[in-house]
Amino acid sequence: MKRVVGGKNVFWFGFALILVFCFGLAGAAHAKTEKKADKKEILIGTNLPLTGILSMVGIEQRWAYETAVADINKAGGIMVKEYGKKLPVKLVVADDESDPGKAAAAVERLIKVSKVDMLLGGFAAPFGVIPGCITSEKYKKYYHTSICLIPPWLEHKFQWSTLFFFDLEQACSVPYEIWGKLPANEKIQKPALIMEDTFDGRAFAGIFRKLAEKYGYKFVLDEPSAVGAKDYSAQIIKAKSLGVDAILIFGADADCITFVRQMKENDFSVKYMHGWKGTWAGEFSQALGKDAQYILLDGFWSMDFPFPGSKELGERYYAKFKKYSVSVGALYALCQILWQGIEKAGTLDSAKVRQAVLDNEFQTMMGKVKYDKNGVAIFVSTGSQWWDGKQMTVYPFELTNYKIKLAPPWKER
Amino acid sequence: MRKRITRNSTIAFAIVTLAFVAFPLLVDTEESYLVYFFFMCFIYVALAQGWNLVAGYAGQASFGQHAFFGLGAYITAITWKAGWTDFLDPVAMMLSGAGAALLAMIIGVALLSKLRGDYFALGTLGLGEILRVVFTQGGTLTGGPVGLLLPSSSYQSLGPYYFIALAIAFSTFLFIWLLMRSRVGLALVAIREDEQAAASNGIHVLKFKILAFAAGAFFAGMCGSIYGYFLFHIHPLGFFSLNWALLPVLMTVLGGIGTLFGPVLGAFVLTGVFELANLYIPEIHPIFSGLFVILVMLFLPQGIMSLGGKSIVTRLFPFFFGSSK
Repeated sequence: MKRVVGGKNVFWFGFALILVFCFGLAGAAHAKTEKKADKKEILIGTNLPLTGILSMVGIEQRWAYETAVADINKAGGIMVKEYGKKLPVKLVVADDESDPGKAAAAVERLIKVSKVDMLLGGFAAPFGVIPGCITSEKYKKYYHTSICLIPPWLEHKFQWSTLFFFDLEQACSVPYEIWGKLPANEKIQKPALIMEDTFDGRAFAGIFRKLAEKYGYKFVLDEPSAVGAKDYSAQIIKAKSLGVDAILIFGADADCITFVRQMKENDFSVKYMHGWKGTWAGEFSQALGKDAQYILLDGFWSMDFPFPGSKELGERYYAKFKKYSVSVGALYALCQILWQGIEKAGTLDSAKVRQAVLDNEFQTMMGKVKYDKNGVAIFVSTGSQWWDGKQMTVYPFELTNYKIKLAPPWKER
Repeated sequence: MRKRITRNSTIAFAIVTLAFVAFPLLVDTEESYLVYFFFMCFIYVALAQGWNLVAGYAGQASFGQHAFFGLGAYITAITWKAGWTDFLDPVAMMLSGAGAALLAMIIGVALLSKLRGDYFALGTLGLGEILRVVFTQGGTLTGGPVGLLLPSSSYQSLGPYYFIALAIAFSTFLFIWLLMRSRVGLALVAIREDEQAAASNGIHVLKFKILAFAAGAFFAGMCGSIYGYFLFHIHPLGFFSLNWALLPVLMTVLGGIGTLFGPVLGAFVLTGVFELANLYIPEIHPIFSGLFVILVMLFLPQGIMSLGGKSIVTRLFPFFFGSSK
């Protein structure tokens, strides 16, 4: 290696750079400091996965938040009694890079530099939501979130967050409920469970197994799958030889797409295939085209829900992206709850807004929402089926007229 | 003359250190983002110094810092959850460092005796991946893919984290400074320059390589420990992320590999660039940060420390700036 000799002015160069960073950060923080009387807007921060492995879902979440902000501002803003006027909302987005450490850093920045009044949650328990909740807890800022499994969230006993999400047991009961409604000659006999070997995948797998016993089913094939696996032929051939007639799969979009493609290549078809996480995005249907037909997906919401604004929101999303979404309504509803909570609290004080959210019932795009004393509000996880590029709601049964179609062999599709 | 240089060095170093010690006492640690910024810088300084010791001084490029970082975090979390240690417990931090160093010694015997150069680097890269899978499959002890949740209600202030991270960074700096002035440092440099020549002069090559590797792992384990206390959720994907291996390498190379002050400068500059890019251009920050690194590597391939020449600072900090290369 070459000799490296210390440099002229290196120290001062480095020192000056550090000073620039310090002034840059301090300047940004100072610029955001507003006096109470000068309050011109409500600053809402959010840490979203704009880059990294979750960036695809981050786009939907960001659109939902930005649309909710645009809509409330169009209506003049939120009435805050403390200031005696309606204040518009400004959304400050920070990239958490789909990484827990970066999520904590993003929330630190939002609170200390951007000086946000409160926060809307990020995506997925381990990557964005739990680190965001913990950081908000440290600085006593309200973190109003969704998209996080309830048990790990409850374990922390957060005092500055609230969670709006589905109950895992209910979500996992959806396929069994659907199977129960199938005609006697179409009953599922040999289901298989293919679950991604991750935080969420294992949580889902455990509940699926427990509920299978309760509903009277037994998985003839139960195997974990590695994230990013490129070859599922061993599992597919095994399933084919066992005569599997239904598959429950939990995995990322790319993995689910690969799995379906390899099923077709191996001429292996099941009459019922239901995916979680990886089959609900529009990209899944776009990538597979007609091969996505008959496949079921989980979801948080449907534009077919009979709640005010649902259909319009779904149409606005379609107009923008030329695909449908089963998540944006729930995230829009999360914002609706926060707007109403601020108005009911009459202040931007984090503790009081959180208390107002806990104490009241809210009318949203997901129907009526009421939080429990732990700060959790539960919505029903949906089940839909891809049909001609659209997610047709199959479950909850009372909110749909659509009848599920069982898949014929590949050659007959 | 030499006495005067040493005295000036000590005074200047003490002033910089005291400024960092005094800083959180002058600001509100819960309001100032700079406190958090410096906290992260200190962690990166220690990680980068650890890597610099192994690669820059001993000439053994390793990509396994994330393995030791993650292991340190898990040791802290497991001992805390078992009730053997407490929140921000120095014993847990030392255990984390020692556990990482022990693993480095065990792995080091196998890898360093057989592999060199790129092969050794790839071997250490594999170590991180193996540990990530082991901890993901670790059952209730490691929390599996869920990881270990720690009681976040223990948090009181960012101040203690800042001072502990500063102490770790300072210790790393001091350790390497002293080490490189000792016969051990001389042996490491000799090994880096020519292993066979070093061996023929009676230097036990494997022993010194393992020593450097274990010392670097010790600091990485300590960093994992304090960062685990900070995040309160030890998760295999986050703590065994390749970022913890690659960023220290980037920082050291950017600052100046094989110099004492290079990793410090690299850690501060790169963390600062990332933070400002994240703050002002969140949409395209990876492009800007990547461009910055490319430009520095294009125009300063030996790092910022290679700007060259003698200055008052190099006279004040002869050991920080003067490379042994």
